[in-house]
Amino acid sequence: MPREIITLQVGQCGNQIGMEFWKQLCLEHGISKDGILEDFATQGGDRKDVFFYQADDQHYIPRALLLDLEPRVINGIQNSEYRNLYNHENIFVSDHGGGAGNNWASGYHQGEQVQEDIMDMVDREADGSDSLEGFVLCHSIAGGTGSGMGSYLLETLNDRYSKKLVQTYSVFPNQMETSDVVVQPYNSLLTLKRLTLNADCVVVLDNTALNRIAVERLHLSNPTFAQTNSLVSTVMSASTTTLRYPGYMNNDLVGLLASLIPTPRCHFLMTGYTPLTVERQANVIRKTTVLDVMRRLLQTKNIMVSSYARTKEASQAKYISILNIIQGEVDPTQVHESLQRIRERKLVNFIEWGPASIQVALSRKSPYIQTSHRVSGLMLASHTSIRHLFSKCLSQYEKLRKKQAFLDNYRKFPMFADNDLSEFDESREIIESLVDEYKACESPDYIKWGMEDPSGALTGEGNATGTVDPKLGM
Amino acid sequence: MDEQQDHQTLLDLVKELVHRLNPSTATTTTQFAQSLKYATRILASRMTPSIAADESAMAESIKRSLVNEGNSSGALAFADLYTKFSSKSGFGTIKNKWAVLYLLKVVAEDRKAAKKSNSRASSGLFASTVCGGLPVVFDEESGGAKKVLDRNRSGSNGVLLVSKDSENFREIAVREYGDLVREESEVSEGVLVRDVLYACQGIDGKYVKFDKNFDGYVLLDSVKVPRAVRVMVRKVCELGWLFMKVRDHVSESMDRFPAEDVGTIGQAFCAALQDELSEYYKLLAVLEAQANNPIPMVSEAGNSGNYLSLRRLAVWFAEPVVKMRLMAVLVDCCKVLRGGAMAGAIHVHAQHGDPLVQEFMRQLLRRVCSPLFEMVRSWVLEGELDDIFGEFFILGQPVKAESLWREGYRLHDGMLPSFISQSLAQRILRTGKSINFLRVCCEDQGWAVAAEEAAAAVGTTTKRYGLGYGETDALEALIAEAAKRIDRHLMDVMYKQYKFKEHCLAIKRYLLLGQGDFVQYLMDIVGPELSEPANTISSFKLAGLLESAIRSSNAQYDDADMLDRLRVKMMPHGTGDRGWDVFSLEYDARVPLNTVFTESVMGRYLRIFNFLWKLRRVEHSLIGAWKTMKPNRITSNFLTKQEGSIKFQFVSTLRRCQVLWVEMNHFVTNLQYYIMFEVLEVSWANFVDEMESARDLDDLLAAHEKYLQSIVEKSLLGERSQTLCKTLFLLFDLILQFRSHADRLYEGVHELQARTAVSALSSQGRTKTRQKQNDESSWGGGGRKALTKLAGEFLQTIGQDLEKISKDYSSSLEGFIAQLPMQQHVDLKFLLFRLDFTEFYSRLRLGK
Repeated sequence: MPREIITLQVGQCGNQIGMEFWKQLCLEHGISKDGILEDFATQGGDRKDVFFYQADDQHYIPRALLLDLEPRVINGIQNSEYRNLYNHENIFVSDHGGGAGNNWASGYHQGEQVQEDIMDMVDREADGSDSLEGFVLCHSIAGGTGSGMGSYLLETLNDRYSKKLVQTYSVFPNQMETSDVVVQPYNSLLTLKRLTLNADCVVVLDNTALNRIAVERLHLSNPTFAQTNSLVSTVMSASTTTLRYPGYMNNDLVGLLASLIPTPRCHFLMTGYTPLTVERQANVIRKTTVLDVMRRLLQTKNIMVSSYARTKEASQAKYISILNIIQGEVDPTQVHESLQRIRERKLVNFIEWGPASIQVALSRKSPYIQTSHRVSGLMLASHTSIRHLFSKCLSQYEKLRKKQAFLDNYRKFPMFADNDLSEFDESREIIESLVDEYKACESPDYIKWGMEDPSGALTGEGNATGTVDPKLGM
Repeated sequence: MDEQQDHQTLLDLVKELVHRLNPSTATTTTQFAQSLKYATRILASRMTPSIAADESAMAESIKRSLVNEGNSSGALAFADLYTKFSSKSGFGTIKNKWAVLYLLKVVAEDRKAAKKSNSRASSGLFASTVCGGLPVVFDEESGGAKKVLDRNRSGSNGVLLVSKDSENFREIAVREYGDLVREESEVSEGVLVRDVLYACQGIDGKYVKFDKNFDGYVLLDSVKVPRAVRVMVRKVCELGWLFMKVRDHVSESMDRFPAEDVGTIGQAFCAALQDELSEYYKLLAVLEAQANNPIPMVSEAGNSGNYLSLRRLAVWFAEPVVKMRLMAVLVDCCKVLRGGAMAGAIHVHAQHGDPLVQEFMRQLLRRVCSPLFEMVRSWVLEGELDDIFGEFFILGQPVKAESLWREGYRLHDGMLPSFISQSLAQRILRTGKSINFLRVCCEDQGWAVAAEEAAAAVGTTTKRYGLGYGETDALEALIAEAAKRIDRHLMDVMYKQYKFKEHCLAIKRYLLLGQGDFVQYLMDIVGPELSEPANTISSFKLAGLLESAIRSSNAQYDDADMLDRLRVKMMPHGTGDRGWDVFSLEYDARVPLNTVFTESVMGRYLRIFNFLWKLRRVEHSLIGAWKTMKPNRITSNFLTKQEGSIKFQFVSTLRRCQVLWVEMNHFVTNLQYYIMFEVLEVSWANFVDEMESARDLDDLLAAHEKYLQSIVEKSLLGERSQTLCKTLFLLFDLILQFRSHADRLYEGVHELQARTAVSALSSQGRTKTRQKQNDESSWGGGGRKALTKLAGEFLQTIGQDLEKISKDYSSSLEGFIAQLPMQQHVDLKFLLFRLDFTEFYSRLRLGK
């Protein structure tokens, strides 16, 4: 009963970061590119079976589904040196291979079309595990496949596996540069609705921030996708270390997430990682102590989500929860000292309506990867300032929507047929209420929030689109 | 003829004098004859005063002493008389004028002295002889002994002074003296010497016999000998008495053997005494041979050396008597002692300033301690407790293997000789104990090599009987070396062969729940089982579940030996106990590890396990609650679509539930973090450090004890934190109650939701896509009002329940937090720090 986690990588971006993730996991567990355990990988203590299973010939096979509507990225994977790693039955490329054309509605619709094939794969994987813990979805929210088909999958998983966890690693588009995807705000909004309603936990990977970090922290003048993706894979693998190297606490995903997400709807997590390195880069070796790491993790510049908050708003922003996963050789006594220092210096603002603290999980480091620093740390945090990211999405959507631009592409699909754009309005409403809830969390009166407002605007969690009636089934 | 007449006249004069001096005795009695003889002897002696014979000087001296006395008229009279006396010359006058003067002076002085101290006649008598005055012939007041003494002295005085005379005089005097002695003694000195020699062998002689009343050898009273001889005999015969004592002890001890109360050390002591006695016998043999030589007269002294007189005997015996006396003292003080105590007692007497005694005692102790040291040697090098008579200062007792180390051996303080210090004894005890522990518990043979190495390193002292008393340094070196090597070997065996550290780690991982994934699966699969009443649970089934938890977690990669030791243990249960109350894990430590993990230690581990297990269960149930209210399941928001109070009731109930969950989860999580970082890991890190520096099993035991104790204390399981612990368990129970309420709430909500959906379906009669199914219109069926009412009632009861739990929880938690800083015996500031990281609770308290 290894609490298996099935990974679904959807769309171009999803498959790219997914591939990086698996590369990283293989390295950390000493699994070769072909899925065979390396000779040196004899030191036990790690759990491979959370993310891998063993084929009859002892090959380690990722519990991963590679899904895309166009073949380019997946073909790339199939031609790479990792081609033998994956289970080929778990690769799905749409027959026509035409993709979703960066259209959420297209992706969603196509997802609906092929859902039987995909759900077969999911069921097969789920049946193959003893005690499935949940699913991890890797996708971007801006394009067509990852956002549209991803959204569809979220709804379906929520429906069919309502008791399982659904965690997503969602890549938010780069807001700093003009995107070639003009309908990005539409796609984002529609996806965000599903992330709000149908996911248990969303790890927000903001491309804007990833780029900024690559430029500022890693001094890359023009970071490539591969480089930002490696940042993502670092975060992904680090956030799963406690599952893969079991210790006293945080040994399963639910235990990890439960404390991070005390209020169900505020389940969007920010991440931070230090010290960051990129392959083939001569990085400066810094002194890394627990305190250093924890302090740096609290600095905005290391956080992988852009803050669009104005100064005043930023000062009011509060942490709802923090979990620091510290890897490496750590003397447990240092943790307490560091926490004490952080509290003394008031480096962190927590919510006032309930007790909170920085949680620290100590995790082993893979013995097979040499790193130049002794301690590294990942922060997973729920922070109210993330609402500004959603507000930004909303405002971009409003701009586009006001112009009624590009809506025709969407009207082609059943959901928006007959010029029924209520889905957009509903999504907007949900995101607004999400933003409001985050805002309410900043106040000490959160407990009473939404109860003295008879108009119901704030608690309008919209229609019950996400409502699942198990009796209905599929 | 004339001369003869002269002689006769003189004799008569002497007779007259004696009679005058002692008028009470008739001239015919023997006493008179004796006195007469004595007087004759005095007169015949050539005693000369030690001052020069100067007539005028003598007169001057008398005159001066008279003047000094204030008798100036007397002095004048004396001067006048002296002038007359000295001027007289010719026939009929006194020739030896100086002698007459001297006599007068001495008589005067004697008188004076006698007058001065007539209360103490003896002192006068004594003074007279010391001052070279006239010997007092008869003194009725003084005892016979003094008379003898007096006679001896006067005799010796005479002999001494004679030396100034010519050779001839001296010989004559000695011969006379010899005659005298012979005359006074019924038995000859030679016979006495032989008798004394017999007495010194503990045999009654002809004249010298053991006198019970006197408790010693004495010369028979009937035998007439001079006092001096009698005393001498008695003195010399002290040796015989001592000898008897020693010999009796030796023979007695020998007889008693092999009865247990002698012991090897007692035997060694006897043997040593016996050896001394043989030396003594040799001496006696030599002396006996010498005693056969006749005692020559003084005049013949130069001719033959090897004869034995009492005096010579006394000299010969001077040294043996010291030794014998020592031995007798030892015999006395060792009579009731045995073993090490005996050695110790002897050692006390060895602290002597006299090098002779010291040397003697050292040799004796070497012999006596030899078995003791042999015991020490075989104990520290072979672990053999070779002590059938219970003489060693280490006592063994038959115990079970697991308590061998703690109870198997102990120091017997009574048998610990004082020359072995307590700390050294402890080291000796531990070294041998280590060997035995290795042999019995570890079934290890390698210690022999270690012992050999130790022996080789120390050198010769490790041979049998190589160690001796007084070689404390060698002993210490041997012990140190043996202890070092044996202990190192023991540690090696414990660490390598018996994997002590790994077992500790296994206990930490399984009993202290360090192996999180294992614990989780175990919790998952035994959870349903444990909710049943305790008496219906089969421990066999639980064992099976444990097995599968091991197999499906990372524990499967652990050493099979360790997994094999992990067992399910059902504690004794009463009626009404649930499985949760009685379930626990235990670790079968087995020999030799059960020396560390004794039953009481495992009992404490059990308590920690129960605490942690409970904590885990609470955490588990909180996470279970989270799962029912997790983000993508709060889709039952259908109620929020409703207008009016029902919506707010719904929202507020859910919110209350969530906020309460946040509080509880915060508490449980931080308590867990505290347990992990501040208790388990820190204690473990300290333990590992101490384990590495532990040099022997005692260190290791102490380190482990400290480790366990610190966990117990810090986990609030100690005696002094009982109230705190009680509050804690109260909180746990509240959380478990909360879980069931939360479950009920969400179940109810889901049920309501399902019924809404059904009614929606039936009333609308159409199937929509799922996205639209709960459209606002679907909520308009006939059952809507009833449902709303139902929901309202349901939410109200749940709300009340939650409210109650929330209140109880808050007050209990407040109590708990308030108590924390008052626990002075254990540092709980870490826990408080974590619980109140954002000062939420401090603010709450201030706000009140």
